[in-house]
Formats: sequence, structure tokens, C-alpha cells
Amino acid sequence: MRVTAFTQLITVLAVTALVFILPVQVVSFILVLELALLLYIRHDRMTMAAIGALTVFTGMMILLQLLFQSTLEVAMIGGLRMLVMTMAFLCLLAATRIQDIAQALVERFHMPCEYAFMLTTALRFVPDFLADSTATLDAQSCRGYSNRGNVFKRLYSYLVVIKPLVMRAVAKSDTLALSMELKGFGANTYKNMKKQELGLGDYLVLAIVVILSTYKFWIKYL
Amino acid sequence: MSNYAVEFKNFHYAYNGGEVVLKDINVSVKEGSFTVLLGPSGAGKTTMCKAMAGIIPYYYGGRYAGSVEVLGEDTKGRRVSDIAMHLGLMLEDYESQLVSLTAGEEVSFSLLNHGFPPDEVEERTKKALEDVGLPGRENYQLDELSGGQRQRLLLASVLAVHPRVLVLDEPVSAMDPEGSASLYKLLYKIHQKYNMTVIVVEHNLDYVLPYVTDMIVLQDGGVVASGSFEEAAAIAHEDRELRRILPALWQVKLNLEKRDGIHLGMWRNTKDAIIELKEKYGRVEL
Amino acid sequence: MIETREVNFAYRRGEPVINDIDCKIEDGEFVALLGHNGSGKTTLSRLFMALMHPRSGEVYVDGENIAKKEPADLADRVGYVFQNPDLQILADTVWDEVAYGPRNKKLSEEKIREQVEEALAATGLTDFADVYPRILSFGQKRRLGVAAALALKPRILLLDEITNGQDSLEKEQMMNYLRAINEEQGITIVLITHDMNIARLYARRVIVLHNGNLVFDDVPEELFNGMKDLTEWGLQQPTMAALAATFELTAVNAADFCAQLTLKAGEK
Repeated sequence: MRVTAFTQLITVLAVTALVFILPVQVVSFILVLELALLLYIRHDRMTMAAIGALTVFTGMMILLQLLFQSTLEVAMIGGLRMLVMTMAFLCLLAATRIQDIAQALVERFHMPCEYAFMLTTALRFVPDFLADSTATLDAQSCRGYSNRGNVFKRLYSYLVVIKPLVMRAVAKSDTLALSMELKGFGANTYKNMKKQELGLGDYLVLAIVVILSTYKFWIKYL
Repeated sequence: MSNYAVEFKNFHYAYNGGEVVLKDINVSVKEGSFTVLLGPSGAGKTTMCKAMAGIIPYYYGGRYAGSVEVLGEDTKGRRVSDIAMHLGLMLEDYESQLVSLTAGEEVSFSLLNHGFPPDEVEERTKKALEDVGLPGRENYQLDELSGGQRQRLLLASVLAVHPRVLVLDEPVSAMDPEGSASLYKLLYKIHQKYNMTVIVVEHNLDYVLPYVTDMIVLQDGGVVASGSFEEAAAIAHEDRELRRILPALWQVKLNLEKRDGIHLGMWRNTKDAIIELKEKYGRVEL
Repeated sequence: MIETREVNFAYRRGEPVINDIDCKIEDGEFVALLGHNGSGKTTLSRLFMALMHPRSGEVYVDGENIAKKEPADLADRVGYVFQNPDLQILADTVWDEVAYGPRNKKLSEEKIREQVEEALAATGLTDFADVYPRILSFGQKRRLGVAAALALKPRILLLDEITNGQDSLEKEQMMNYLRAINEEQGITIVLITHDMNIARLYARRVIVLHNGNLVFDDVPEELFNGMKDLTEWGLQQPTMAALAATFELTAVNAADFCAQLTLKAGEK
């Protein structure tokens, strides 16, 4: 069942609101759904690491709330909501190509094409910059900079890498901007792409979202 | 209608806040030629390439005089993306010219922006990828391609709009000899197949020797020699600095021609040279 | 002195990159490390610098096994200059850039000044000491990389394709600096390159790698005398060598070749 990027975006945004509207049991259920979806689509190391990181982050949030003297229940519910929201974004990134997200943002949400394109550009250049940073770290090391042992030293060495990296990024972005100009980037860029038409799957999901969002209204009648 | 791919008329240029980089350039590139742009570092070759694409002076700003015409039309007042439909530019940092995440998207980017219908976009993309030796790779992610393949991808994206002129600035500076030879072979194939004018900035003339027809020699922002490769090389040979950037083979040829007053042929590789030398300089005990 | 014994290397994905290489480079040598793309020459040099460690076999620097070392430990004995000068620039002035290494080693101010000045002089950058490194020309940035490595006074310099992308005049200039460093200071130079001409004109020893194997290790004359089929190893015969060999002359450059050729023809 294919669901367009637009629907996915709407769903994710809706989830961030729904966690506050729906009862805890339903929210927990959504969490289980998200996990199942995520593991079904992509069960590689990176996804696991991301889930792990989010869980840890949520755990820290809960602890923090407890420190500020909330009850356990309140803290847990808060943590659950946070986890469901962030997981939703993770699902989005795992399930959709960033180009489709960008296209939906321009087409349906009327985001200016330059901003939407930044998403693609970021993804495009991140691997390159990671490779560059390795080269700079190597150069540091070959000139006697050892980041053994000390965590702070390690962090500092990464900081020193930032400057050459940023310089390079600026130079590259110059060429990139030129290239985009030469290729005629502009309003037409997203207009002429193959339209992402809404299909049965989309309408189904959107219907579910609408139903869940109006929960507070119809629950009275049950 | 002139039959020049690119014509510089009294063209001067200085970058914003900088010194004059190009001085009184008066030179033309014949259509259908395979022209090499030669000169020491800092001579202004990259600037000249950018001027051909119309991005200098109009995209960069700066001070200029004179004009540059591409296929008979002045670059002044034209959008660089329009000029790019006729003259494709590949800069030295080709990696940063790639804007998309997949090969297919990269090649079709320009086409989509210019409103080509989806069917034609697909067709042209397929053809362009085939032409550069990356058939069927539309869905390949950028990081699944090697450096050499990425360069070919950029070439494909430039070719997809069917330009008449190709301008390349030091395309093989980061490559090994094998990769370089194969890229030039590809360029020549495209040059022949589409009768495309190819203008290339290259330090190592050994790579272009098998294919070159014309040459422009730049030194300190001015044109020192231009015309057929033979003519331009002979003029460059007279200058002590320029002589050393000519390929060794031609340094030999021009030296012998001058010294012994003979005329040797258009040597395109070492084999040509050896055959003719054996002929002219008598038998050699082997 | 660097030595590798039966060194092997492969990436996690499997295909071996270096096969059983035994190699010994003594002090004061000028070595060119040649090979086609993917032959393992860069990997071998990285093994020398402990940027990578072999899967099996050992690497020794001055008799010491460097299996547990990292490049920072070797920096005052072995210098490494990378191909891309932009990625190596870590400071805001040429002086600070070159002083980076000695400062890391916590040398005295006196020593630092001395070593930086020497390194700048050896690469012709003394007049650029206060310049912002990014406005230097490409060739100058390359030399800056060399100066930065020299500042730690290593006895061995490993240079990865540092003449790539430069015109012949700049290449000559760089190589002359390297030759001076080698001859005047006795520093061992190991140059990874695919420029056959440079290898021929400047190196006194040539090592060729092919598919991870060491296939040639001798003086350049033996490699470029026209007897070997270099294409087998993915290399090209430098033009002048091919011409000279065909006509049985000893010239290394065009002018000499022409002179010798006409002389020889005149003898007929």
C-alpha cells in the first residue's frame, strides 16, 4: 500500500498533536505500531542505533522531570509522548525519500523551493563532509596531535576540524550555487516533477488521522 | 551567422576588488574543433572558461570591457541557464557541481527546469547515461558511484540538454593516467558523434595530443598564440617558459624542425614520432 | 629507516589490497612508489605512517614495531603530506600552520622558532610567514603541507601524489625543493606518484606495486630503459624514455635528445 510523502508528513504532524489528545493506551499502541513499522522497513544498524538514542534521550527527559518533582506517572506519560513524537519523525525519514518530502513541501505546503532543496543538498553533501573530516583528522594526527585517552582532547580535536571543513563547505557551496544557476534551478524545478498523486492508501490513512484527531468529539457518543 | 563556437572580442576582465585577469582577449574557437586551452597556472584559463559560459562577468560581477559571443550571440543580458543549453561547462571541482541524490535525477535536473515533457526527459536521460558509459544507472545513489563515474555523470547531465559546445576546466587533474586517458577517449567519442565543439583546459598535453585540432595559449592574462595546434605550438615554443609546458614529444619535434630546417608531421603519439624520426634520421642499429 | 615484513592488508569487505610485501627503505633514499590506481601504493604508505595497521605482518620504523602506535607517535620521525592541501590547513597564518606540529610536541619557544624557520626556508615560504594560508596558490599550499611536516624534523617524508594537478613548471619547482631537502639534509623521500617523468628524473629507486604485489624494486634506469612492458603494470613509458631507448641515446630531456639525435645522424 503506497502512501505519498504528503500523507506521511500530515500523519507525522498529526501524531505530534494526537499524543496530547488521545488516551495513554492508544498512544502506547501507536508507539508499538511505529516500532513495528520501523523495524519492518529498515532493520539496519543505523536504525537500531537511532531508536536506541531516542530511548536514551527520553529516559533522560523522564529523569529530569522526576528531579523537578513530578509524579512518576506524569513523568512517564511525558516521556511516552516525547518518544512517540520523535519516533514518528524517524519513521518518516526511514519510509520516504528526502526528495519526495521536499517535493511535497513545495507542492502542498507551498514552501519556497530554495528551502526545500536544502534538505536534499544537506543529505547530498553529508557523506562528503564526513570523508573530508577524516582527512583533516588524519592530518592533525600526522602532525603530532594525539587524542588518546582524554575525552576533552577528543572533542577539541573535532572542533579544530570544523574550521577547515566550514571553509571547504563555503567554497563548495559557491560552486554548487553556480551549478544550480546553470541548470536553471527555480520555480520550475518542483513544478515539472512527476506529481505525487493521492491514492487509495492515502485517503485511508488521512481518514484515520481525521477520525483520531476528532476523538474528543465522538468519544462522548460511545 | 558566424561559424565560431565562441568568439572573444576585445575582452577584458577583473574580479571585484581585484586586478585585471584577462587583457584584451581577441580569439575565436572554430565550431567542431577540439581546442585545448594551455597556459601556466594563474594565466586566466579558468576565468576564460567562465567567460565562455557567460557567468563572467554577469554572475560574478566585476569590471569588464568587450564582449564574448557564443554561437554568434553575445552573452550579455542572457540568463546563464539559457547559455548553458548551448554551452556546457564542467569545472575542476566537478563534485560540487552535482546537485542531486541519484544519477537519474542529476541528469534530468536541467531538463525538468526547462520544462521538457516527462517522456522526453526520460528518453534523454537514458541516452545521456548510455553515452557516457553509465547505462541503466538512473537509480544509483551518488555515493554508489566512484569519482570517475561521478565525473561522467556530470558530463551526462551537461550532455542531456544537447549543447553544441563543451567546456571543461582541468577535467583530469585528480585522476590517474588510465582514468584520464579513458575520459579523453570518451570526450573524443562524443566530439565525433555529435560534432560537438570541445574546449578543454589541460596541463598535461599528452592526454589531448591524439585528438586536438586547435590550441589557445594564455600567459599572464593575454593570448600569446592561437590557431591550429601546430601553429600555436610553434609560437609557444619560442618562449622559454611556455616551451616547457608543451608535451615532450612536440618539444622534440619543434626543436628538430628549427635546428635542421625540416618539416615533421602532426605527431599524435610516440609511435608517430618514432616512425617519422627513423625515416628522417636514418637507420638505427637495434 | 622503514621496513615492512610480509605485510598484508585488506578492508573488511574482503579483497586484499596488499599481499605479502617485504620492503625496506634506508635513510637518505629518494624513492618513487608507483602503481596503477588501486595497486596499493597509498595503502602501503599509510601503513608506514600507522594511519592503518596491517592484517598480518609487521611494520618497523627505526627498528621499532609500530603495531601499537598511532601517527602522532611517529610524527617526529616520519612526516606525511596528503594530496589535498586544503584539507590539511589548520591555522590562520603560514607560521602557525607550520608551528602546529612542534607546538603539539610541546617544544620550547626557541626550538619551535628554529624549526619553523628552517622548514619555511626549505620550501621557499619564508616571505609568506604572515600570510593567510588560503590565499596561497595551489602550488604554494602544497609546499606549505611539506613545510608543516618538515617542522617536526622527521627523518623520512612520505608524500602522496603531491604533484597532481600542477603544471610542469610548478612540478619542477616542487621536485627541486624535495631534491634539495634530500641531498642537503639527508631526509628520506618516499614519493607516491603516477607521474613517470618525475619518477625517472628525480628518484634514485623505484618501487612498483601491481594489484597489491611488489613487482619491481630497483633503480629507475632499469624500469625505463624500454626493456620492460610497463603497460602490464598499468603504467606508461615516459615519452623521452621511449624515444631515447628506441634510438639508443641517453638523453632525459627534449633538448639533449635532439642534440644527440642529430649528432648520431650526422655520424652516418
